[in-house]
Amino acid sequence: MASRKAAQKSLSLAPVLDLNEANTLHGKLMALRGNDLVIDASAVERVGALCVQVLMAGAKSWEEDKHSFAFSKVSDAFTKTTQLIGVNIDHLMAKEI
Amino acid sequence: MDMNEIKEIFFQECEEQLAELESGLLRLNDGDRDPETVNAVFRAVHSIKGGAGAFALDDLVSFAHVFETTLDCVRSNKLEPTQDVLKVMLKSADVLADLTNVARDGGSVDQARSAQLIRELEALAKGEAPPAAEAPAPKAATPKAASAPKPAPVAAAAAPNDEGFVPVAFSFDDFGGEEEAAIEHPAYEVIFKPKSELYTKGNEATLLLRDLSRLGEMSIHCNMDSLPPLDQMDPEAAYFSWKVSIKTDRGEDAIRSVFEFAEWDCELELIAADAGEGADGETEELPMQPVPFDLSALDEEPHAPLGVVEEEEQIAAAQAVTAAQTASNVVQMAANASRAAAADKGAAAAAAAQNNAQQASAAGQTIRVDLDRVDRLINLVGELVINQAMLSQSVIENDSNGVSSINMGLEELQQLTREIQDSVMAIRAQPVKPVFQRMARTVREIADITGKSVRLVTEGENTEVDKTVIDKLAEPLTHMIRNAVDHGLEMPEKRLAAGKSVEGTVKLTAKHRSGRIVIELSDDGAGINREKVRQKAIDNDLIAADANLSDEEIDNLIFHAGFSTADKVSDLSGRGVGMDVVKRSIQALGGRINISSKPGQGSVFTMSLPLTLAVLDGMVVTVAGQTLVVPLTAIVETLQPDAAAIHSFGATQRLISIRNSFCPLVDVGRILNFRATQANPVEGVALLVESEGGGQRALMVDAIQGQRQVVIKSLEANYTHVPGIAAATILGDGRVALILDVDAVVAASRGQPLHLETSLAAAG
Repeated sequence: MASRKAAQKSLSLAPVLDLNEANTLHGKLMALRGNDLVIDASAVERVGALCVQVLMAGAKSWEEDKHSFAFSKVSDAFTKTTQLIGVNIDHLMAKEI
Repeated sequence: MDMNEIKEIFFQECEEQLAELESGLLRLNDGDRDPETVNAVFRAVHSIKGGAGAFALDDLVSFAHVFETTLDCVRSNKLEPTQDVLKVMLKSADVLADLTNVARDGGSVDQARSAQLIRELEALAKGEAPPAAEAPAPKAATPKAASAPKPAPVAAAAAPNDEGFVPVAFSFDDFGGEEEAAIEHPAYEVIFKPKSELYTKGNEATLLLRDLSRLGEMSIHCNMDSLPPLDQMDPEAAYFSWKVSIKTDRGEDAIRSVFEFAEWDCELELIAADAGEGADGETEELPMQPVPFDLSALDEEPHAPLGVVEEEEQIAAAQAVTAAQTASNVVQMAANASRAAAADKGAAAAAAAQNNAQQASAAGQTIRVDLDRVDRLINLVGELVINQAMLSQSVIENDSNGVSSINMGLEELQQLTREIQDSVMAIRAQPVKPVFQRMARTVREIADITGKSVRLVTEGENTEVDKTVIDKLAEPLTHMIRNAVDHGLEMPEKRLAAGKSVEGTVKLTAKHRSGRIVIELSDDGAGINREKVRQKAIDNDLIAADANLSDEEIDNLIFHAGFSTADKVSDLSGRGVGMDVVKRSIQALGGRINISSKPGQGSVFTMSLPLTLAVLDGMVVTVAGQTLVVPLTAIVETLQPDAAAIHSFGATQRLISIRNSFCPLVDVGRILNFRATQANPVEGVALLVESEGGGQRALMVDAIQGQRQVVIKSLEANYTHVPGIAAATILGDGRVALILDVDAVVAASRGQPLHLETSLAAAG
């Protein structure tokens, strides 16, 4: 990992990540910029395309920042939805933690 | 909101959609190949079909369905929109409009015509060249024909309705049977690009894709290329787009129906791939992810918020909700507008979002208001204007020094009322576009019947004029257009021989000119055959055989009642009632019509109409103790006659010499029977007026009181028609003043008795 100086933060995703949550999620992620991030998606029961967009944009930014961005746990619904919409999150699954 | 109200809204929207449809088709006809134009046309038919389905308007649904299917072929580039194809489509648009009208107002449609068009459309959809042969459908159907997922409305339409009309049951289901036996299901490639509106309206791409995945075996690629970094993104904008390969036996329609409610808010491309190829994504090197079949986890919605549940139900109960959707469109547009405005603040607004804002704000700026309410408002403002004038008058009468603050206040009040009046009149002002569009249809139909090739060019469709004028404009215009195509334009052979293009051009333009609207109708036909017109006029005793007429005077003969140069009486025109009726209706609107014609080059009809029938700028005059208003537009100049300029002519006639030319002097008081003997011209004022045919008359009145804008009150509606009088108004002193029908008075001065005049409204 590139920068170990910054603290590792974690973020637990809300159960419902629908259209209305996209702004909130975006805000939460913005606040966590500059840190390694571990995301717990185990509680997610429903996730919409907008929130996946925000998460993927986050992954992109984190990569640019040379910080880690990983999902620690994911729910079945979260996995299925990402598979359904063709978004591959395999590379974002935390392996070394 | 009860069902009837929703239905009414549906029909209002139908009108808009039909207008959209027609203008789109005309743009295509002009060579516009913008996919958005095709989409707009498709959308129009599609939404009419959707709404009609909800109200069980089966005729409409079945026709729209066939129409839509053919348009879809154009949309997916399977059918080239050639002139011939568009001809069929324009006719179909006309039939669709007829069906809509019938659904709303009752009546019947030309069943043979719609059945014929359905056959032609079907043939086009199958790739046959128009005009369609009535051959049975070949088996080699396009993928489109695989199987219709929405047979319900079509099947329902096949049942005879009250009028015993059995629509041709056109269904693609017939083709599906054999193909279903095949083991390999047809594969399709779907490119799905949501616009931001999709999300703004509460649609969820994941749900659409989920529904899509249920149609068959699917693999997907998500294109994230446009996804910006986190800090530059708008969390509510659409960045993802998808390419989906799906194998399904449910057909293209089933795929489209998944996107039915999101269709306008996304770009959707549907390509039928060869079976066995598309599904594994060999066509392009995009990494396709297979989508798991078991998506049951996504169906559990334990804590789903209200909005999502609603949205879910929308998809499930699609058919039932169509009506409500239609009805809520207006509200939705407004909501979108505000959302879009909010979204605009974000610097990262994508192009799609901008598009959204434009569309939404265009739609959000209008409201529908009952015409009655506007009319009531206009009436009230009219009263206000009168009342204000009365107030001013009584203040002036009681306060002769004229410098008091009351006077200042009154002046401001006067300005305000005038402004209010102008703004209120602007509410009822509408572009002439709908009327012009109706003319396009007339041209098509007449061209068809006469076998001529005609192109209608319109200009200035957005010129606005009061709705009352627009409503009365359609009839005379239709007459004139018919005449222009039927008589004006030559047959194709003749045109060729004259070195013109085979296609005749009829041009309709509208523009504002000095407070009036001027509508010009020109054709590039043969022009008026003056010899023939002259001969005809002589035969009909309209003119003396040796009359010396200018070209212009001969041209204007065609406006005479009972005049027609058509050798044969045709179905279209040539009954000899055309142009004089036109002239009369134009005059009834307070307008004037003129013709100029160049042999071999065509004719130009110019109509000049008032912008409104509610107010009028007039000159207030006194005649034999009565107050009259003379429409200002009729007056050329006013003069104080000199005794030396007055010349007697015959027993009672008098002429006035103005700048070395003589002009008949007409005593208005005498004509209207206000006085028994002619007044002395030297004691009065002469108003030089322009009358029909361009001739001038000097109207004698006793005195001029002033010039002001008056509110027109119809005499017919409130009392009864009075010969020589166009309407009435109420003056500042509370008295009723009559508005002079200048043309009627001039005609009366020529010896035609007044009571035969049929001029109905304000004279111009």
